[in-house]
Amino acid sequence: MKKVLWIFIVLLGFFTLFVIYPLSSDARPIKVGIIDCYSGSATTFTYDVRDAFKIAVDEVNAKGGVLGKKLEFTTRDTKFKVDLGISMTKELIMRENIDILMGTISSSVALAASEIVKGEKIPFFCTFSKSAKITAEKGHRYVFGITENTSMIGKAAAVGLAKKPYVRYWIAGDDYEYGHALADGVWGNLQKKRADVKMLGQSWWKVGEPELTPYLTAILSAKPDAVIFATGGASMVNIMKAAKATGFAQKIPMFVHTATELSTLMPLGQQAPEGVLGTSNYHFYFPKTPENDAFVKVFKKEYGRYPKVGALYGYIAAQFIIKGFEKAGKVDTERFIDAIEGMKVGSPVGEVELRACDHQAVLPMFLGKTKRSRDYPFFIATDITTIPGPEVMPTCEEIKKARAK
Amino acid sequence: MDIGQVFTFSALGSQFLVGLSRAMILFIVCSGMSFVLGVLRVPNVAHGSLYMIGAFAAFSIASLFGGSSTGFWLALIFAPLVVALVSLIAERALFCHLYEREHLMLLLFTFALMLILDDLVKLTWGAEYKSFMAPPFLRGSIPIFGSPFPRYNLFLLIIGPLVAIILWLFTNKTKIGKISRAAAVDREMVGAVGINVSWVFGAAFVIGCYLAGLGGALVAPIVSITLGMDQTIIIEAFLIVTIGGLGNMWGALVGSLIFGLTQAFGVLFWPQFAIVFPYVAVVIILIWKPTGMLKSVW
Repeated sequence: MKKVLWIFIVLLGFFTLFVIYPLSSDARPIKVGIIDCYSGSATTFTYDVRDAFKIAVDEVNAKGGVLGKKLEFTTRDTKFKVDLGISMTKELIMRENIDILMGTISSSVALAASEIVKGEKIPFFCTFSKSAKITAEKGHRYVFGITENTSMIGKAAAVGLAKKPYVRYWIAGDDYEYGHALADGVWGNLQKKRADVKMLGQSWWKVGEPELTPYLTAILSAKPDAVIFATGGASMVNIMKAAKATGFAQKIPMFVHTATELSTLMPLGQQAPEGVLGTSNYHFYFPKTPENDAFVKVFKKEYGRYPKVGALYGYIAAQFIIKGFEKAGKVDTERFIDAIEGMKVGSPVGEVELRACDHQAVLPMFLGKTKRSRDYPFFIATDITTIPGPEVMPTCEEIKKARAK
Repeated sequence: MDIGQVFTFSALGSQFLVGLSRAMILFIVCSGMSFVLGVLRVPNVAHGSLYMIGAFAAFSIASLFGGSSTGFWLALIFAPLVVALVSLIAERALFCHLYEREHLMLLLFTFALMLILDDLVKLTWGAEYKSFMAPPFLRGSIPIFGSPFPRYNLFLLIIGPLVAIILWLFTNKTKIGKISRAAAVDREMVGAVGINVSWVFGAAFVIGCYLAGLGGALVAPIVSITLGMDQTIIIEAFLIVTIGGLGNMWGALVGSLIFGLTQAFGVLFWPQFAIVFPYVAVVIILIWKPTGMLKSVW
């Protein structure tokens, strides 16, 4: 008899759980889980994504939330490790019951998380990893690219470099997926635009290599016309320092994707090399629009620093999440995705569309040159050419072909 | 690629000097690690973190003086002292209570210290990349062998041997140096003759950490000072003290030279695969001499 009673109690327990839980879900907030690397040298980028995201979340919650629900988010530190990223993604989905997943700066973590959300049917906003695979061959219904990727950077750089008279190139960079993908992106596109370019050689150093002088002196002795540097993380600053110290920048024209970014130029202060070509999605001083000024003002007031490129990504991701649920009319994953496909949101760099065919945000690229500034204690980008998003993105047909493979 | 162009005297000469200057930084950091390893018999896993603190402290001190030359020199003097102070606190408050415990506990302690220090650095200095510059007369480059050679690297070439000489004088001519050498060989005997072994260990630990801080302060003007810079150096440092001979400070010098020079020449000869050169050298040395180039004190 006792046994029957126990079974009855357990069944009752389950029943109440299943009945009450969906009923109570109306009051449940909309939950966003962020997996990202919050330790080591990546933090300078990832904090900006999180902090700008928080501004947008606080703003919307102050106005009464999304669809009358509070928007909440929780973060997990993946320490740049794939295994940690995977277990944290699963933990967020299963234990935290998140509605949206966001992150991360590591391409391998992003690709692994993308595989998980595909099965779990949770929308994933990829906010910083630059692998073009995420929205191209590995793309699917539940993954969204909210950042430039290596193929976009490559095309933008090729547009800039093809106009220059350089023929004999050297390629150097950080020896990991991002570095090689970036170099291949620039070089492949440059070859398409200019048949006469030649590669003299390549140098690759290990990620985080502090002393780049030996690499630069070796390249100097090969005397190329120009050098394409594919650097990420801390190397972005190291390469500029070594270029300045060896006099490399005055001798050989350089393209460094991140040369004009604030995360590179701010630490260098007045000691950056001048005239280095670089591309970026965002400058807090360009474009000079009321939207950008307002964004910079709020960010600076909140955190006491200028927003960097990551802040743009965090802000845009938040806008898509907020506007998407509002348009969908209720918290329903499939309706949310239908709503944001092709959606346009306002941003500090103008209106940004989320392309329906590959879920890639159409972001403009700013190609510029480093120059001493009169207004700031660090160098800024000048002679900025805006390359509109559609010009640097692969076409929908190309995406289809890549995914069919 | 035109091979003849690469193997010119000027290219070889400048690569040699660049590699040598890199080796000097490695030597300063690794000699400290080797010293601690010799006396305490513990690989200090937190050594890299102390190197990182040295760089961050140098940045802070230099920034106080608005990036002037005075700031740089003061940073070079005081940043390692800050690191020594941090290590002294860690040693006297925590580490010294563990000397009686088993070896593994000591290793675990240094590992824990690394994690704590890394987070403290993040809390103190934040996530941004930091950078400061050498004084004007050490900036830019001068032509040597017909190719530009950064002046700061030249400065490192002077500092490195200077540190080596001071270390030699310290371990051979001072009492505390002699005691720590004796402790490295037979610590029970040192205790038996009435010397406070705990203090010898403490002093050795602090001196080793001071060298880590000095390395960090010296490298700071040529790199971006960032979280995670400890990870890179600690792996190289372990390899260098292993190939040099555990606990042998001159082994650290030999190991650093091998590491720095194979890297510099690897970059010149075979740039795509330059990363592997120092590691291939490590493998060859360990096969040829499993206990390292020079006599290990273990």
